[in-house]
Amino acid sequence: MFCKKSTLVTFLFSLALLFATASASYSQDAAEGESLFKNNCAACHNTSDEALVGPGLKGISERRPIEWIVSWVHNPQAMIASGDQYANDLYNKYNKAAMTPYPNFTEGQIKGIVAYIDAANAAPVAPAAGAAPAAVAAPAAAPSSGGMMELLLVGLLIIMVLVLIALLSIVNTLGKLSGTDTNDSGKPFFQALSENVKSLAANSAVKTGMIVLVLLLGGKATIDAAYGIGIQQGYAPEQPIKFSHKLHAGEYQINCNYCHTGVYEGKGGNVPSANICMNCHNAIKRESPEIQKIYRALEKNEPIQWVRVHNLPDLAYFNHSQHTNVGALECKSCHGEIEKMEVVEQRSSLTMGWCIDCHRQTDVNAKGNAYYDKLVEVHNKDSKTPLKVQNIGGLECSKCHY
Amino acid sequence: MLNPSKSIILLAGMVLGLLSCGKDHNDTGTEFAPNMYNSVGYEPMTQLQGDTNKINPLGMNMRLPVAGTVSRKMYSGVDSLKKSFLSQELVSKTIPNDSISYSEALLNNPLVATPENIEAGKLQYERFCQHCHGETGKGDGPVAKAYKGIPVYSSDALKTVNDGHIYHTITHGKGRMWPHGSQISSQNRWKIVLYVHELQKQ
Repeated sequence: MFCKKSTLVTFLFSLALLFATASASYSQDAAEGESLFKNNCAACHNTSDEALVGPGLKGISERRPIEWIVSWVHNPQAMIASGDQYANDLYNKYNKAAMTPYPNFTEGQIKGIVAYIDAANAAPVAPAAGAAPAAVAAPAAAPSSGGMMELLLVGLLIIMVLVLIALLSIVNTLGKLSGTDTNDSGKPFFQALSENVKSLAANSAVKTGMIVLVLLLGGKATIDAAYGIGIQQGYAPEQPIKFSHKLHAGEYQINCNYCHTGVYEGKGGNVPSANICMNCHNAIKRESPEIQKIYRALEKNEPIQWVRVHNLPDLAYFNHSQHTNVGALECKSCHGEIEKMEVVEQRSSLTMGWCIDCHRQTDVNAKGNAYYDKLVEVHNKDSKTPLKVQNIGGLECSKCHY
Repeated sequence: MLNPSKSIILLAGMVLGLLSCGKDHNDTGTEFAPNMYNSVGYEPMTQLQGDTNKINPLGMNMRLPVAGTVSRKMYSGVDSLKKSFLSQELVSKTIPNDSISYSEALLNNPLVATPENIEAGKLQYERFCQHCHGETGKGDGPVAKAYKGIPVYSSDALKTVNDGHIYHTITHGKGRMWPHGSQISSQNRWKIVLYVHELQKQ
């Protein structure tokens, strides 16, 4: 026990010593170099040997003489043009992406950056070795609320069936004990059950009850179906490319407007053209079969046939900019939490009643909009409630139907 | 009594019956009088299945604007601000992608850096730039981790770049950044330029 402890102490001590030597070599220059590196270089270069946009810089002080590094940082283009073999190899290896020149860095500053890179690599890697293994099993995906509901229902059903079986067996046993149906004792269960059902069906009260029940249920189903005509709530069509809004709008927080360019300016929300996909996917996930579909469409100059999810009938006019720009509504107030949807689904009913409801309840976004000043003034003269959309024609038939 | 195999079949039947009630997510449901639902005129964002447009290329209702034309939105009337937006945009369109120095020399922001304009620029920045360039322009947006190589606005190479440089970068792209001119209107690009100048100081 004691022995183990002492080895641990020795290990910790040596670790501390390592840190101490590392920080001792961490000079003033390197400290300045660190802030310069993080501000100017880190976007494209790692201090390790891992390549980012440009090469990883571990061991750069051994690879190249400092004079070369200084003149490269000052003007990489000139170095390439001068025919320097190493510079040209580098340029070609990294997809001919020219490095930004930093002519204002002094030689001391560049040396500081190199010192920082060396210091960063000299730092002990022991903590990383002790860190938990990277491969942690991903938590099982939680079932969606819909799936949960279904499971719950199935569970309830199973319990009900079990209770039914138990009750039937109790009735059976009780019957046997009371000896009233000794004849039945030998009959199989289903035969006994069918006889019971037949005798029940013969009862006129039960008959009437059943008819009323069937009529009621049938009536409800008919009315529900009739109300569902033309309503596409819950429509979540499969798209030609498995694009995930959850990933793009949720995890990566890309604004809706970035792709749906017309949403603040025009009638339609705009399905993005492929060049917008390419802003990122020229570099990201290039080998994915789904992304390859975009490349193929671009090469053949053919449109990607996305399936439109929100289909408002032609008899109703709707304008996005009116709602998003003037009304300052958030996208999710009609479209739901798109940033959580793997496949986009129509969340709102888009019925006229749904539109009208909102127009009755919503205050006009009149603040800082001189257009409404006079209207608000007139409205406030003979009303105590704030100016609602319905007060400015939000319920007029011809506003949306013409 | 009920034998176990029968009870299992009964249960399985009930469960299947319950699950099959789920709606088909690819189905739009019943439509009443679809001739009132579907537009008679050509809707650019609507294309009915099997309905090919006989006039436009690829049978699409949507079509590209004629090459070299300027949108009516950019029409320069008496409004002098609109006029200068238009002239700047026309100059910008003639500058080749790789000639950022021309933009630096030739383009000037028609907008004045008033607090309102900067605020409007911030809004546009949040919509079009923030996911890569980060809230403060440090190149640390959520997409930057995957895309890589997003520079810091306040870095020595970028902290002094002018209006034309930034406008050119948004419009035609630069380095790893691809052109965003088709997504952002000329006015909004100039607003973003104003806000990027604020971030250069940070």
